[in-house]
Amino acid sequence: MKTKILELIAILVALALANTCRAGLKWEQTQIELHPEPGAATAVGTFKYKNTGDTLIHFKSITTSCGCTTAARKKDDVAPGEAGEITATFKVGASTGVQQKTVRVETDDAAAPVTVLALRAVIPQMLELRPSFVYWENSEPAKPKTIIVKAAKELHATSLKVTSSSNDFVTSVSSAAQNEFKIEVQPHDTAHSASAVLTVQPDSGGKPVYATARVVNPTISAQ
Amino acid sequence: MVRRGLIREILVLLCLALLPALGQAFYFRDRISWRKPARQDEITVSQARSLTGTVMWLDARPDGEFAAGHIPGAKLLNAEHWDGLLPEVLNAWTPGQKVIVYCSKQSCDASHEVARRLREEANLKNVFVLEGGWEAWQESAK
Repeated sequence: MKTKILELIAILVALALANTCRAGLKWEQTQIELHPEPGAATAVGTFKYKNTGDTLIHFKSITTSCGCTTAARKKDDVAPGEAGEITATFKVGASTGVQQKTVRVETDDAAAPVTVLALRAVIPQMLELRPSFVYWENSEPAKPKTIIVKAAKELHATSLKVTSSSNDFVTSVSSAAQNEFKIEVQPHDTAHSASAVLTVQPDSGGKPVYATARVVNPTISAQ
Repeated sequence: MVRRGLIREILVLLCLALLPALGQAFYFRDRISWRKPARQDEITVSQARSLTGTVMWLDARPDGEFAAGHIPGAKLLNAEHWDGLLPEVLNAWTPGQKVIVYCSKQSCDASHEVARRLREEANLKNVFVLEGGWEAWQESAK
């Protein structure tokens, strides 16, 4: 009986050791948070790894969660003891706020064939419009509607210039609080459909932001 | 006596079996599951097809993927060209209309991001995300 138990213990210990001593990529970190500068075109994160096992590991595929993110590796195979990195680049574009993208790494390591790397980018918004869309239905009185603009303090904006792409709307800007402005938008009438893109430009320069104003006639715009 | 010995043997084996499990749990502690649970704002293809009224379909994929194929009638709206594309979308939208955003696969966050911005920034209601995205739509069309 005792011999049987000892045999089983030996088998289980061997299994446990085999599990911990297997080949594998050891990642320095699988999640990275980035804070790119205002106006930056990309946010780049580097995921470092090391092959802590005793067999060669081959990258089968590396895919990203969307077209806005790319991932690059310098080599396809990682020898035992070798270190390397995968560079994930998120194209900021017009994205704002917290962006979470993932990179899926597939290797021939039987113990851990798939690792998901997470890239979290916090994109600062220099001008924030709430809402960025105002509309009137054609039965509605042509009263002004308000868009609140919050400016980042780094922008040092003291006033805003608002330009409407259509003469069907009039706009006025006033200061609401520190780094906060109020845009009032008003259509001339709501008897006919109209739309305009409002370009909002801070006096301190920088990228403009856009809002849309519309008089909606459901019978015309419904498809 | 025999029974007591058996129980002790079982307990010893269970404790030993726990060792590799704990080792594995420690080793994989920072690995993220690739599959995500369905989110509350997601809608399946069959649910989307059964919606009454006019639905606005928005494609959140990059321009090239949209050009290669998209849901009939869908409009392009992605983060890369947000400022240029949004006015056209808002000009086609009607009050009360349901909006469904889709991307290229279940793991893609772009559709959720577009839906979030439409809700928070443009103040649109009834904005959903297509579960399984473009691939699920294509699969259902087979």
